[in-house]
Amino acid sequence: MKILLIIPAYNEEENILKVCQTIEQYNENAEIKLDYIVINDGSKDNTLKILRDNKLNHVNLIKNLGIGGAVQTGYKYAFENKYDIAIQFDGDGQHDVNYVQKICKPLIENQSDMVIGSRYLNKKESEFQSTFMRRLGSNIISLFIKLFCGKKITDPTSGFRAVNKDVIKEFAEEYPTEYPEPESTVSLLVNKYRIVETPVSMNAREGGVSSIRFGKTVDYMVKVVLAIIVDSISFRRKRRKK
Amino acid sequence: MQNSLKIALVVILLIYLFVILKAVKKKNMRINYLIFWSIIGIILIIALCVPNFVDNISKFLGFELPINMIFSFAIFIILYLIFDLTKLITKEQNQNITLIQEISMLKKRVEELENKNKDDI
Repeated sequence: MKILLIIPAYNEEENILKVCQTIEQYNENAEIKLDYIVINDGSKDNTLKILRDNKLNHVNLIKNLGIGGAVQTGYKYAFENKYDIAIQFDGDGQHDVNYVQKICKPLIENQSDMVIGSRYLNKKESEFQSTFMRRLGSNIISLFIKLFCGKKITDPTSGFRAVNKDVIKEFAEEYPTEYPEPESTVSLLVNKYRIVETPVSMNAREGGVSSIRFGKTVDYMVKVVLAIIVDSISFRRKRRKK
Repeated sequence: MQNSLKIALVVILLIYLFVILKAVKKKNMRINYLIFWSIIGIILIIALCVPNFVDNISKFLGFELPINMIFSFAIFIILYLIFDLTKLITKEQNQNITLIQEISMLKKRVEELENKNKDDI
């Protein structure tokens, strides 16, 4: 069982080393070792230097692609190197490596094709539930996914997710790069992949700046909803042809 | 329209056609777009040279004023062109993303192999 953590990093000089060290510490006692790959998305700070100096396994994107393009690079890497499971893992210390086992379980038992680590599924589990606005946004996106794909996803914007071999192949070929988290969820749902959510807790950011700017929330919401509607139509047709 | 103005406009259009041809020769434009731009140039030259050409067509199509017809055609053509370019940009963007991903991964692979070689030696 080969497991890969995909860690997209954009200007994460404060966090990235710590994140990789926690993974290596985790590996010392774990049964299943975790490989990781950091995707440096054209950072303007010292992220690349830190990655090189500490010999962390990384791909350096020659230009900034945004989170979607960076994560897809990770899936391509996972596909080429024949990993069984790929896990998206934030480079800013928000995600806890101790949840990896829990998030992989449904995949290993073949009960699901993708597992999303949800902040909202179990209220007690997560101390960091983020702001009211963000939760409202998540609820609206969830509502539209339920309307167009018929399944309730409590945390559609969660960046902590694990996928199996089939989905790795799917994502390596085609991955939505504009609003990756909700869109990829929709693309899998309309193609009858099984998605399971599992409660996780996330930490507040330890340093750096979040990629979501609050001033643009409304703009983001409208476009995501539109993307969900478009994807629920376009992805279905595309894959049916195959 | 005065004859001198007409001649001036025709000359401008001829220069325009020449510029298009030059762009194609320098490989700055694809044949696809060459056809589009030269058809527009030729139509404009015909409209200038044939007497009452614009008036007759606009009357035939039912426009109240010839200028209305010219503006509506121009707007439609421009809209079509922008739509086409938007499609093209999206396609190019997607190709760009793939290229950047593949090149970056290749670079990693090359670096790994180089390091391995050093170790072997």
